[in-house]
Amino acid sequence: MIEKPITDYDEEVRNCSCSYCGNNCDDITYLLKDKKIVGVRHACRIGASKIINDQDQRLLNPLVRNDEGILEETTWDVALDKTARLLYESDRPVLYGWGETSVEAIKKGIKIAEKTGAVMDNQSTICHGSSIQAFQNVGHPVMTLGEVKNRADVVVYVGTNPMDDHPRHLSRYTTFPEGFFRKNGRKDRTVITLDPKYTNTAKVSDEWIQFNMNEDYLLFDALRMLLKGESLDEEEIAGVPTSQLENLIQIMKNAEYGALFFGLGVSQTLGKQKNVDMLIQLVEDLNRYSKWSMLPMRGFFNVSGFNIALTSETGYPYGVDFSRGYPRFMVGETTTIDLLNRREPDFFMAISADPGVQFPGYTIKHLINIPTIQIDTHWGPYTELADIVLPSTRVGVETEGTAYRMDSIPLFMKKVIDKPENCHSDEWILTQLYERIEILKQEEDN
Amino acid sequence: MKVMVNTGTSVIQAFYEKKGSTLKDEYRQSAAVAFMDLKDMQKLSLKSRDKIKIKSEWGEVVLYVDISYDAPHEGMVFIPRGPWANIIISPETYCCNVPTYKGIPAEIFKTDEDVLLVSQLMNKVYNKYNLDDDKLTDKPVYKKRMI
Repeated sequence: MIEKPITDYDEEVRNCSCSYCGNNCDDITYLLKDKKIVGVRHACRIGASKIINDQDQRLLNPLVRNDEGILEETTWDVALDKTARLLYESDRPVLYGWGETSVEAIKKGIKIAEKTGAVMDNQSTICHGSSIQAFQNVGHPVMTLGEVKNRADVVVYVGTNPMDDHPRHLSRYTTFPEGFFRKNGRKDRTVITLDPKYTNTAKVSDEWIQFNMNEDYLLFDALRMLLKGESLDEEEIAGVPTSQLENLIQIMKNAEYGALFFGLGVSQTLGKQKNVDMLIQLVEDLNRYSKWSMLPMRGFFNVSGFNIALTSETGYPYGVDFSRGYPRFMVGETTTIDLLNRREPDFFMAISADPGVQFPGYTIKHLINIPTIQIDTHWGPYTELADIVLPSTRVGVETEGTAYRMDSIPLFMKKVIDKPENCHSDEWILTQLYERIEILKQEEDN
Repeated sequence: MKVMVNTGTSVIQAFYEKKGSTLKDEYRQSAAVAFMDLKDMQKLSLKSRDKIKIKSEWGEVVLYVDISYDAPHEGMVFIPRGPWANIIISPETYCCNVPTYKGIPAEIFKTDEDVLLVSQLMNKVYNKYNLDDDKLTDKPVYKKRMI
């Protein structure tokens, strides 16, 4: 069925920034009628769904669990006081999430973490944390997406499927657009996808290289050997014929400007940060022959912003532990999943994130035993486990804020429509919590 | 049948997740699905939308089956990210903070059991508040405040 274009609107708001993925497309037009969004132009399917949104599960009032285990509506004062007290009295609190909120709210969060000796962590801990470790180990040949659009003639996607999770990545930045040096757009570029599956991205690529799962490290190492002129004795590496690899390395070597994007297929399989280490070194080696750079495909629209904000405030990118009064970062020790797996935290707050969707079941099982708080816009799987729910607003739609694109470019996100009456922005909620914690501290000091 | 489980984002699952309709059947239909290679499905005489139980070291869950549009990938099953996939994936971080979401060995069996909605699944698997399963539906369950 072909849907007709929306004509029944009375206002157009241009140049809005999308609040779904790390592409942060800032060319979105919202169509408004009676101050409500009725349509979205330019956004992808997922971005549009996030902006228009299902209202049946929208959280509209603060909720607290009663004795029967049912959530009950309450006032902001009651919910905030309860949250502040639980947080203040806990020994090992974890503040997790932040990927879908503004840098302004994150800054308030850092202040709370410092005050309460909490662990401050975001979605990097379950997706590209290992990539960040690899950047610290080996380095990061960075680029901006604008460079790719204007210069790249070879684009390689490794272990990522942007057609599904960053739908406009190819059409807006890398493959299809006409660039300054790539006048013919798609025709001027070679796109290669390395993935165990024949993904939607592989389907639009010039070449798909299928390799075995969990053999990423082996594959990248073999590519480095070929690049250095060594020959391989094996006929097949990680399920890929050696001749195909030789061909790939020739294309990469002869590129005028190469851009490599890698996703969770590399950072979440066995090997983790070592896979990314090897991939970075491959890009480093390629720079002896041509210009190559790389980017991780960051998921949420401000997951990169959290890493930048936290690094500038504390010196560490994620998983920062304030329990000793000063920031400490230790991979595998102060990171959320490891803490929960060790059953350590006694308080868990998720801010604009849904651990019910994101965490392994074994990890979630610890949330049964401890107080759990949710600050979010919609009822989700995590709400089923939350003791207190604080309804917030959507950044880029109902609240303004700053977010960082996957290539670390900060973008301002507009407020377009009014928030639901009894919801408040993450920044407001966190400021209120901070003030209440201050009062509790003063009371104790006296 | 022994398989390797791969999880990740699918555009349809992400669509319903971001739309915020996670309690509804539309989300279950998009995320509680194991996408299999047709050859693997034939081995277990499975048809599209049949149900399977998938069992790993970490847990078991009932899912729908569908033909993968990313085939060929014999021996590998793709499950979109979500509360169902979470139950069977490995929490092991190998001290690198990222759990192992991809490449988990598992076993699948044909079954007649029901695929649960999010609220029922969370109650059954984690049972934090010991709620009555019959009351949990595709709508949020909460008490309104009397003013």
